[in-house]
Amino acid sequence: MLPRAALLLTFVWALAHATSASSQVAAPAVAPAPPSEVRAWLLRIHDAASRRNFQGTFVVTGGGNVASARIAHFHDGPNQYERIESLDGRQRKVFRHNDVVHTLWPVSRVALIEQRGMLSSFPALLQAGEDGIADWYEVRAEGSERVAGHEANVLAIRARDGLRYVYRLWSERISGLLLRAEIVGERGEVLETSAFSDVVIGIRPQPESVLLAMRKLDGYRVVRPVLTPTRLEAEGWAMRQLAPGFRAVSCVSRQIEAPSEAAGEAAAPPVIQSIYSDGLTYVSVFIEPFRAERHAKPMFAVMGATSTLAQRQGDWWVTVVGDTPPATLRIFAAALERRKP
Amino acid sequence: MTLGDFDERAKEGLSALVDGEVDRAGSAASCAAWAADDRLRADWHAWHLIGDVLRSEDLAADPRDDRRLCEAIRARLQSEPLVFAPAKSGLHFGAMRAASADAGRRLGARPGRGRWGAGGAVAAGVVLVAGTFALLRPDDIAAPDRLASTAQPVTTPAVAAARSPGAESATPPLTLVADGKLIRDSRLDRYLEAHKQFAGTSALGVPSAFLRSATLDSAAR
Repeated sequence: MLPRAALLLTFVWALAHATSASSQVAAPAVAPAPPSEVRAWLLRIHDAASRRNFQGTFVVTGGGNVASARIAHFHDGPNQYERIESLDGRQRKVFRHNDVVHTLWPVSRVALIEQRGMLSSFPALLQAGEDGIADWYEVRAEGSERVAGHEANVLAIRARDGLRYVYRLWSERISGLLLRAEIVGERGEVLETSAFSDVVIGIRPQPESVLLAMRKLDGYRVVRPVLTPTRLEAEGWAMRQLAPGFRAVSCVSRQIEAPSEAAGEAAAPPVIQSIYSDGLTYVSVFIEPFRAERHAKPMFAVMGATSTLAQRQGDWWVTVVGDTPPATLRIFAAALERRKP
Repeated sequence: MTLGDFDERAKEGLSALVDGEVDRAGSAASCAAWAADDRLRADWHAWHLIGDVLRSEDLAADPRDDRRLCEAIRARLQSEPLVFAPAKSGLHFGAMRAASADAGRRLGARPGRGRWGAGGAVAAGVVLVAGTFALLRPDDIAAPDRLASTAQPVTTPAVAAARSPGAESATPPLTLVADGKLIRDSRLDRYLEAHKQFAGTSALGVPSAFLRSATLDSAAR
């Protein structure tokens, strides 16, 4: 259900890409991988993450923060299972069975149960070759390095414009499992690193350990956020233009306030969240009615690789969040238009 | 004391400052004087230029170059986002909020700064970031009093920076979240949390991006 404008844009990108490809004839020794190969690399990484059984310690570093977690991933036929236990800060456990995600906070006895439909939808785009990633990123193999005790192929994914960050990926040589990923900023600085500090690949799957934990919710206050699918147009909004390379992938109407807080005051109005992806990264645009007591002043914040832009637009408050350079968020903020009064 | 006397004394103070012959209080007073008075500022610049040229003729550049450089730096700083440092525990939030609320009150009592204050104040904004990181060192968690005292002096000038006129900046003037009040705002966390739920939208997505987002606890709940 691609809108016609998006199709037209795709055509324009294809043209632009063709031009840029011809200008790269005199490129340096390591030529960028052709689009088919880019897709193959990414699919391999993707497949390994879904279809291998592994267990290890995963560390995310960014914005002056370090968070680590013990992770186990099992795969059994079409089913995927995951167990994640945070090792820093508050005790927190995450269990995943395909699209269903349980997040438990054992100390406060709160359980969050989510249905994350988006978890499975993207590979289809990749497989069909409709991702457009190669139009906006250039992938180069950069030899091999040792990460978390494994030999890994190093991939550099460079953005072709200034609207996205650069990625460096370390993919395990045999399985393709992503052992380490770096998000690199406009000036070559590493904004965020996520990596296994140790990992065992090819363990015996124990899906029961995940399923059992997901059934044991006694004594927990269960919170189920409701995400109602909608369309931006149906809510009276339109994007005059998207940042180049991005396409609309989802739009929901939802609450983002914690239920306990909302209970005290009048129920907060729902927030529209519209999501746009360029294949590798994505941007969320939140729209809600302006409330003077909450939305005091515009802001612009950066934490690790994630930037946030919030500002008033007439009677509305718009917040744009994404793992992209600030310029990309500004394009989205500027292109948002109220169609209904 | 006539106005002329005042000028003379200000000039003497400034001259002593250029020569590095004043104490801390004297230097603060002289700096405040040249920041407020155009003529003193012109003197300050001329004397430095004379000193520079005496040392090397290469330094006899058009003063407008300095001004352009200064304005370019200021414009660039204003379009830069403020880097956030995440906090880790409730104690932290409390301490930081207390500190920033206090700084906010002090700011409220202070009139906006002039153009010349802005450059220095923006630089102080960088100190704020360093200060915030310092706040997050584990050994600081046990000393909230010290936290508060560290946070105040660096926070205030940063707010002044955020409120300085953004006329030179090419980007629309946005107020940076610099007063610390929103730095650990749980509302911001909720947007981040809601954003992360769509981590599967990335080709690296399932489960790599999911692992990444699941490992990070945004403290929203």
